[in-house]
Amino acid sequence: METLGYLIDGFSVALAPHNLMFALIGAFLGTLIGALPGLGPANGVAILIPLAFTLGLPPETALIMLTSVYAGAMYGGRISSILLNIPGDEPAMMTCLDGYPMAQKGKAAEALAISAIASFMGSLIATIGLILLAPLLAKFALTFGPAEYFALFVLAFATLGGITGKNPVKTILAAAIGLMIATVGIDNTGTQRYTFGVLELYEGVDFIIAIVGLFAISELLFFIEARAGSGGASVMVNKLKLSWKDIGSIFPTTLRGGVLGFISGVLPGAGASLGSFISYTLEKKVLGKKGDFGEGDPRGVAAPEAGNNGASSGALVPMLTLGVPGSGTTAVLLALLISMNITPGPMMFTQNADIVWGVIAALLVGNFLLLLLNIPLVGMFVKLLSVPPKYLLPIVTMVAFVGIYSISNSAFDLYFMVAFGVAGYILRKLEIPLVPIILGLLLGPEMEKNLGHALTVSNGDWSVLWGSGLSITLWALAIIGLVLPVVVGPVLRRRMRAAQENVG
Amino acid sequence: MKCNDRVFGLLMLVLAVAYGWGATQFPEPFGGGEAIGPETFPILLAVVLALSSLYLIVKPDSGSAWPPMRTGLELLIAVVVLIVYVLLLQPLGFIITTTLAVGTLCWRMGTAPIRAYITGLIAGIVVYFLFTIGLDLSLPLGVLSVLEGS
Repeated sequence: METLGYLIDGFSVALAPHNLMFALIGAFLGTLIGALPGLGPANGVAILIPLAFTLGLPPETALIMLTSVYAGAMYGGRISSILLNIPGDEPAMMTCLDGYPMAQKGKAAEALAISAIASFMGSLIATIGLILLAPLLAKFALTFGPAEYFALFVLAFATLGGITGKNPVKTILAAAIGLMIATVGIDNTGTQRYTFGVLELYEGVDFIIAIVGLFAISELLFFIEARAGSGGASVMVNKLKLSWKDIGSIFPTTLRGGVLGFISGVLPGAGASLGSFISYTLEKKVLGKKGDFGEGDPRGVAAPEAGNNGASSGALVPMLTLGVPGSGTTAVLLALLISMNITPGPMMFTQNADIVWGVIAALLVGNFLLLLLNIPLVGMFVKLLSVPPKYLLPIVTMVAFVGIYSISNSAFDLYFMVAFGVAGYILRKLEIPLVPIILGLLLGPEMEKNLGHALTVSNGDWSVLWGSGLSITLWALAIIGLVLPVVVGPVLRRRMRAAQENVG
Repeated sequence: MKCNDRVFGLLMLVLAVAYGWGATQFPEPFGGGEAIGPETFPILLAVVLALSSLYLIVKPDSGSAWPPMRTGLELLIAVVVLIVYVLLLQPLGFIITTTLAVGTLCWRMGTAPIRAYITGLIAGIVVYFLFTIGLDLSLPLGVLSVLEGS
């Protein structure tokens, strides 16, 4: 019942008029960014972070806005999957399977509406799960000591590649690079590390600059390389004809998808890709011959969308309770928290209860807003989709520049951002994942602090790091998280691709 | 393209050694002799990076191909545009530099030049007024500041 009281407080934060307004703006911008072909939600949120700063928003408003962007980007991602058969990110791949055939049959509007409803249901279920699970996990996490936290951070890195990750060594390498960048600056003993006497480096590398550079600028370079500037052909959407019966028929599917998605979102490393994949596969198994999956079955759209959105809300559980994000997008949200001087983790639930519950309530409110926005306005989003990236992307990049510039007023930061952009491009070419780098930058200071605490207590005895049952469990999970994708990953990826090819 | 990973692994190995060596050169903190100093964590990272880059050298993945010369040149232009943008932002002011930068990028991405620079101009003006009037943030006006006085 305690939870309910907090939640009501949260709603009073989320429903405050200015917060509601920014939630609406965020949902709108998020959908827009998600709808751009090839631009995933992590990039979208990253590009909009400077905006949240330049607006000078208070922490809860900024977080509410970016959570809405996050939710909106998940909604928007399906538009390009369904209409153009181009998934914005990996989890959206499964939506193409039945969404695109539906669009080809002239049922694009129905497919979009169904996916909006399924997304809503998935998020709703997962948010309820979040409300129930997060306080329990936060309470449990209070028993963690420094050694357990250190192991937990290692676990976060190990599982970040996800079950579909390719080369775990590259994940480790990326994590090490990120952590190394985090050590630049003056540490807590007052020692200068790797500053080379450059004044701007004394306070370390600002991860907002790194994130915008790595994601947004490298995205621009990729677009230039792919010569994708002209964008896809413009698509027409038919008039929506959807009865309550149609909605009723996908209802059980969305329930199953949402629950499965939530579970895979909470589990370290599973993530949204697995969420949408499992939901789709299960639906196909459950309904078997009764459905025509792969040829435009509405339930084939609903299942992965519910799973996908369930997982993205579920991924907020480890981020909020442990301060350990499970996906790229939640890592970007974590960056925002840290830069607003809020330390995520179990303490946040007691110290910043208004913010946590405000965000959770905003997630619910944001989903209602998105459902309301999406069904009537889908035609408009589709129109915006036909604005070629060759106009949009340069402008978006400039806005990111100005955003950073108006925070810091330093040209040094902007050069640094360009450098990160070039580095991001090269790393993506080499298939080095960028998310572990970001996570390393974010978690580096905490990780070092916990290592220091653990070793000081034990007088420099390293075995303290695996001294308790809990920490041994975490280490074991981390090892499994690294090894399992090597074994299971290729099989899963092959199946996802096979499913894709059967349709295409 | 296995050499991609090999070269990258080699570079990272060099970085790891340099970074690890750098860590041993930190001055002992005042009152020193703690269980963990400022160098402990960096040395740990250097070892991790060195081991994973060694693995990459021994067992490289076949990476994706690099873009052909022409595209590479386009990319270089884009990066140069961004750097010049930062360089000119203060002296020329936001609106002019944005017109040039967005215009050039749009043009290089395949828009007709005149349309590209008009897009840049509109974007520059709209964003400028959005930020200065709407959000109350100062952006450099540069040479255009003469207009302000009149």
